[in-house]
Amino acid sequence: MMDVGRHPHIKLFTHTEVLEVTGKAGNFKVKILHRARFVDENECTACGDCAEVCPVVAPNEFDEGLGLRRAIYSPFSQAVPSAYIRSDMDCLGTNPIACGKCVEVCQKKCVNLDMPDKIEVLEVGAIIVATGIDYYDPREASEYGYTRFQNVVNSIELERLLSPSGPSGGKLVRFTDQKPPKRVSFIQCVGSRCIRRDIPYCSRICCMNAVKSALLIREMYPDAQIDIFYIDIRAFGKGFEQFYQRALQEGNINFVRGKPSRLEEDPKTGDLIILSENVETGKTERLRTSMVILSEAVVPAANSHELAKVLGARTDARGFFLPKDACGDPITSTNEGIYLCGCSTGPKDITDSIAEASGAAVRAAQYLSPYKLPEVKEEIPDYDISGPLRVGVFVCHCGSNIAGVLDVDMLKIYAASLPDVVFSDNLLFACAESTQRLIQEKILENKLNRVVVAACTPRTHEPIFRETLRKVGLNPYLLEMANIRDQCSWVHGMNPVSASAKAKDLIRMAVAKARNLEPLEQQEMEIGHNVMVIGGGISGLETAIQLAKRDYTVYLVEKSKQVGGWVKELRILYPSGMSGQELIDTKLKEINKEKIKIFTEAAIENISGFVGNFEVTLRAANGKPAPETLQVGAIVIATGFELYGPSKGEFGYQKYPNIITNMELEYLLKPQDKFIFQNKPLKHVSFIQCVGSRGPDGLPECSRYCCQAAIKQAIALQKMGIQATVFNRDIRVYHHEAETMYREARKLGVTFIRYTPENPPKLVGDKQLKALQFREPVLKKDIEVPTDLLVLSVGMRPSRKSIAEIQRFIKVPLGMDGFVLEKHPKFGPVETNIEGVFICGCIQGPKDISDSIGQANAVAAKVDALLARSTILMEPITSVINEELCRGCGTCVDVCEFGAISLQEKEGAQVALVNEALCKGCGTCATYCPTGAIDIRHFRDQQIESMLKAFLLEEDRV
Amino acid sequence: MAKKIPVKDFEPKIVVFACNWCSYPAADAAGINRMQYPPNVRIIRTMCMGRVNPGHVLKAFEMGADGVLVSGCHFEDCHYSFGARKAAEQYKKLEQIVRMLGFEKERIRQEFISAAEFPKFVKVVREMVEQVQKLGPTPLKGVRKVPSRKQVESIMESPPS
Ligand code: FES
Repeated sequence: MMDVGRHPHIKLFTHTEVLEVTGKAGNFKVKILHRARFVDENECTACGDCAEVCPVVAPNEFDEGLGLRRAIYSPFSQAVPSAYIRSDMDCLGTNPIACGKCVEVCQKKCVNLDMPDKIEVLEVGAIIVATGIDYYDPREASEYGYTRFQNVVNSIELERLLSPSGPSGGKLVRFTDQKPPKRVSFIQCVGSRCIRRDIPYCSRICCMNAVKSALLIREMYPDAQIDIFYIDIRAFGKGFEQFYQRALQEGNINFVRGKPSRLEEDPKTGDLIILSENVETGKTERLRTSMVILSEAVVPAANSHELAKVLGARTDARGFFLPKDACGDPITSTNEGIYLCGCSTGPKDITDSIAEASGAAVRAAQYLSPYKLPEVKEEIPDYDISGPLRVGVFVCHCGSNIAGVLDVDMLKIYAASLPDVVFSDNLLFACAESTQRLIQEKILENKLNRVVVAACTPRTHEPIFRETLRKVGLNPYLLEMANIRDQCSWVHGMNPVSASAKAKDLIRMAVAKARNLEPLEQQEMEIGHNVMVIGGGISGLETAIQLAKRDYTVYLVEKSKQVGGWVKELRILYPSGMSGQELIDTKLKEINKEKIKIFTEAAIENISGFVGNFEVTLRAANGKPAPETLQVGAIVIATGFELYGPSKGEFGYQKYPNIITNMELEYLLKPQDKFIFQNKPLKHVSFIQCVGSRGPDGLPECSRYCCQAAIKQAIALQKMGIQATVFNRDIRVYHHEAETMYREARKLGVTFIRYTPENPPKLVGDKQLKALQFREPVLKKDIEVPTDLLVLSVGMRPSRKSIAEIQRFIKVPLGMDGFVLEKHPKFGPVETNIEGVFICGCIQGPKDISDSIGQANAVAAKVDALLARSTILMEPITSVINEELCRGCGTCVDVCEFGAISLQEKEGAQVALVNEALCKGCGTCATYCPTGAIDIRHFRDQQIESMLKAFLLEEDRV
Repeated sequence: MAKKIPVKDFEPKIVVFACNWCSYPAADAAGINRMQYPPNVRIIRTMCMGRVNPGHVLKAFEMGADGVLVSGCHFEDCHYSFGARKAAEQYKKLEQIVRMLGFEKERIRQEFISAAEFPKFVKVVREMVEQVQKLGPTPLKGVRKVPSRKQVESIMESPPS
């Protein structure tokens, strides 16, 4: 929000509606209505004086009505814009009694009760729909008594109750008696996956959300009993399965399969009775619990239908926008020039939404001028830092994330007592927009020349505060952060006294380092505008297509004879019904031959250089001559995955001749109408899911694609008159339409049988597999499912070979699952730790086609954002040589594998010389230098030492 | 060296050097996941584990640290490819020096913790605190004291000899 709020190229209109759209792609006219907020947005400093005098009290929407607000208020504490807003409904105004207190009290005269609504017409090239979701009203599911029974809450209310800055201060208590609940029961799929309620799809986010909340409650109340009633646990995202397993093992959470039929309330105690069928015994049981959380479904944003009409785009019956092709192009709407992202097309989690958002951005950008960004010249004032040190310390509360644990007032006073500190203050949210301005004011007012922000982690927020400094002209490298949230209040929440003591140390250490900081200047560097895409599967192709549309030259490298990867092998894609080859062909048609050069049967010989200036040498995979060297500004790695290969004997693989993998089945099914195996017609085919997924051998997490693939195959078989049975652990069809396909499969007669890893189905048969045997829980009997052919649905796994190949030149880090680790699981899914190197598709983790295409678009957007300028700024954190101490031994030259240091003749002696464009500032050379001639900017020996000293020696000094 | 009696309730001071790309984010992730560990450690961030040389660790001990943990990426993950490997070489040297100086090798520890392995970070910190607690305060405690402000002033005033 912050980034959007202050971006020079983004104009943000809140409290605004779209009335009318005319024109066509590239040239839309959009009529919008600014609803009056009655407070001048640009002038308001969010001081809160107006709310203080407001006599009206109304329920706070942000807290789901659990908390209160005034008639003039800030919607929530990190709101952007931070300006207050007046609710016309609640305000007394001048009628019937004249109030107007807020108008009087506002010193800046921002409040205007007569502010009119305004209509404006904007000219735009493209439109992106990101209208998100609303929540299903659980009152419709009346059997659960939401609002009739006080101790039944929905998941959003729970979210607010658990939030430290929420209405209850982060304490979960029952509404009836304000006491902590002894037992909390979650009910999943309230509304979701239910035709009767007109929500035929899976809401995707609720499983993980319930598990996360359950763990939070577990932490809060170690002795409480926690149950989750579920149909399937759909932990399909990267790392989700491991999280779920952790909840199973450490969380002591009781997972119950089945959906309760009804709730009853015990009016005396406020306790709730859950009536549910025990799937093991088939009997209905009554279970007493103190609190019930309903995981309600996600529905399209209100007014989606109307908006769709205005935009001329289509939605489904429920109101989710329809993409042109849900599988091959999930971002384009049915109206050219209008793009969709996030939950506007169906429920999605943060990671997938963010990827799609970037993707929509690059599509929209194609209607704008070519990639070159206008160079904005900014006026940065001069700032004099000479003279004695003047350190300012800002202690952030981060709502109650910090202030709830640490004694922040004491910290402020303590900070003021430290050497050279001339100013210290508390901030509610240091990162809030208005606070940034406040910090700048304080810097100027107090003539600060070093700044310490004690808040969260510098890994995410250092760039923000550096920018704050830069804007007033203070060199951004004169900032130091003390991480008192992630590494203090959050990890010592149980121990507030020691945590406060530790925070004192951390602040003292940060001040010590700040006193030793020096200003650093960033160098500008020219960058290249070609892009290398490694891997010619669907992800690589899509990336190349999108980048070419933005006018970049793309080199696409593919190791095999043809592009198209796994997708071209697929018989049929859901829901479009086209074949994999057809999808690839449509994509190939979009390839602009002038802009995209495809190298097939090629491999990487060498990669050198750095962001903006990589040099890639290619080699023909099969000895063909002519290696090529290409200059590129960015590299996208899209080398995909490998299928898990079951070891011999795993589920009878290669022991019985009639056991194959799902990919082998796909090949067999290719000639559409006849399907014979071992020259015989088949009657019964069984599938076993999760082979090589969600377990110790193979991938620890869910492979995402296999449930949908198996159902698709089962439907095909069933239609040929073959009985299909799917042995599964959970059915994880999370895509919007996939639930419908699952329902169709059941209607056609596909049988779904649950198994657990401890009790897998047993194989029956001598030479040929004859049947699969499993234990029926209700009948308590072993049952045999006749099986002529067994299909193992194998998971995805990282392709070690191609990853190792890349890692020879680019050290992308790997996650615990062996896939390449993204920069941030939620906010940076396509970036890597290395600037200028991006990933997309299954190299980052299992994905299906539409997810991969979404990511490919995202990567194109990120590359575009990086290369759409002529120069980039280089990090000034590099090594420096003290030439007086250097005796030219060359140790550093050998140590540095970036080749950044060389020996140079100077005044008759050899001295080391650092190439700052190549130096990455790791500091290893300094460690090896025998004379101590090398130091690292921003991490100088003296700076490190000052922190040690502050921690260990100066404790009681002040 | 005098025999050390493990002090009860002794709260050791432990310095952690953590690299910017793996171990420091792991420590952050421990926070995001609200995992709890004893508040005895102070993390000093460096860009890479390769930056930390034996000198820094010895300085910490000289100033009275009871233990030092040096943590970075796994070899394959190091953001600078060779930094972690080189740091492991340096660490061998450090171990030798510590042995030579004659204090317990359990006071130092090197770990390779990736950004995803925050539970490992927590485990290592817990173990380290426990171990150092058993060893008792560092034998070097009080070797180096900070001169009081007065002393500093008087030194500054007296002409250099
Ligand atoms: S960057 Fe982590 S050890 Fe080098």
